[in-house]
Amino acid sequence: MGKCRKTSGKMKNLLKNRYFLLGLRLIVGGIFIWAAISKIADPLSFAQDVKNYRLVGQLLSFLTALFLPWIELITGIFLILGIFPRACALLLSLLLTFFIILVTITIIRGIDVECGCFGTFSRRTDFWLILEDLIWLIISLLLLFSPANDFSLFRFRNENHKMAQESEEIN
Amino acid sequence: MKSCVRDWRNIESFLAERLMGVKKIIFDRRTLVGICIIFLLSVFLGSVANIGLIKRYLKGEFKQAFISRESFPGLVFISLPEAEELWFSRQAIFIDSRSREEYQLGHIPGAVSLPLVEAKREKIKFFENFPPGTALVIYCEGGDCQTSLNLGKILYQRGFKNIRIYSGGWTEWVNAGKPVEK
Repeated sequence: MGKCRKTSGKMKNLLKNRYFLLGLRLIVGGIFIWAAISKIADPLSFAQDVKNYRLVGQLLSFLTALFLPWIELITGIFLILGIFPRACALLLSLLLTFFIILVTITIIRGIDVECGCFGTFSRRTDFWLILEDLIWLIISLLLLFSPANDFSLFRFRNENHKMAQESEEIN
Repeated sequence: MKSCVRDWRNIESFLAERLMGVKKIIFDRRTLVGICIIFLLSVFLGSVANIGLIKRYLKGEFKQAFISRESFPGLVFISLPEAEELWFSRQAIFIDSRSREEYQLGHIPGAVSLPLVEAKREKIKFFENFPPGTALVIYCEGGDCQTSLNLGKILYQRGFKNIRIYSGGWTEWVNAGKPVEK
C-alpha cells in the first residue's frame, strides 16, 4: 500500500515537472511536424489517401488535404515553442480522437487502406495504429490538463520583462 | 450504510469539481482564441501554398481522382462503351483489382485477378506473364472503390505506361447486362 502511494506520488511529481512536460511537447510536436511536412510535400497523394477511406466525397477530401497538414504543422510548432500550449494540446487531442474513431470505423467496414498519416511513409490501418494513436492521445491529454504546462515563450518573455523591471528598480 | 452514502457524496463532489476544472480549461478564452488563430493561419497558408491546385480543381481536373496528369500521363479513365470496345476487340488485358474471393464469385470474362495487396509485393507472377508495354484495363467494384486507381498507380510505377481505369467497375458491367464469367 505504502509503495503504491509512493509510486503515485512520484508520478504526480513527474506530471508537475515543467521539463518533463516540455519533453512530451517536443515529442508530440515533432511527430506532428514530421507528419505534416510529408503530407504538405504531396497534397494530391494525401487527398487520394483521404478519399480511399470512402467516408467523404471529392471536395471534402480535397479540402482536408489542403488544410489539415497545415493545422498539424502550426499546432506542432506552436506546441514546441509554447505558443497557446493548451489550445494546441486540445486541438491535438480532438484530432487524435477523430483519427482513432476513423481507423476503428475503417477496420470494422473491412476497408484495407493506407492510413496516410506520414505521406509516403504511411502504413496500413490496423489495431497497432489505434494503439499508437491512443499513446499520443494520452500524452496530449496530459499536456492539456497538467497545471504545469506553462513553459512557454510568453512566460520567458514575461519573466525577462519582470527581471528587467526589478533590476531597473534596484538601480 | 451512512458511511457508504457519505463516500458516494464525496465521489460525486470530487467528480463535479474535476468536471468544472475540465470545463474551465477547455472553454478558457485563451484556448479558444488560440484554436481560432491556428485555424485561420492554416487556412491562409494552405490556400497560398496550394493556389495552383485549387485553380486546377476548380477547372475540374480532379473530378475522377487525385492524380497529376504530369506524374501519370499514360493513366486514363474510361467509361463503359470504351471498356466494352476494348474487351470485344481484345486490345487490352483486363485486370480485376478486387479480392480473390470476389473475383471467384464473378468477373469480366478473360480478366486476370490481381488484388491490390498482392501487387505491392516485389515478386509476383503477373510481371513475368505480361511485358511492361501491355495495354491494361483495371477495374474494381465500382462506385467509390479506389483499388483500381491505386493498383493502376503501382503498375504505372513498375513500367506499365498504357493503363486505363474503368471507373464504372464490376457493378456497372453487371447492371448493363454484359457477359460475366464465374
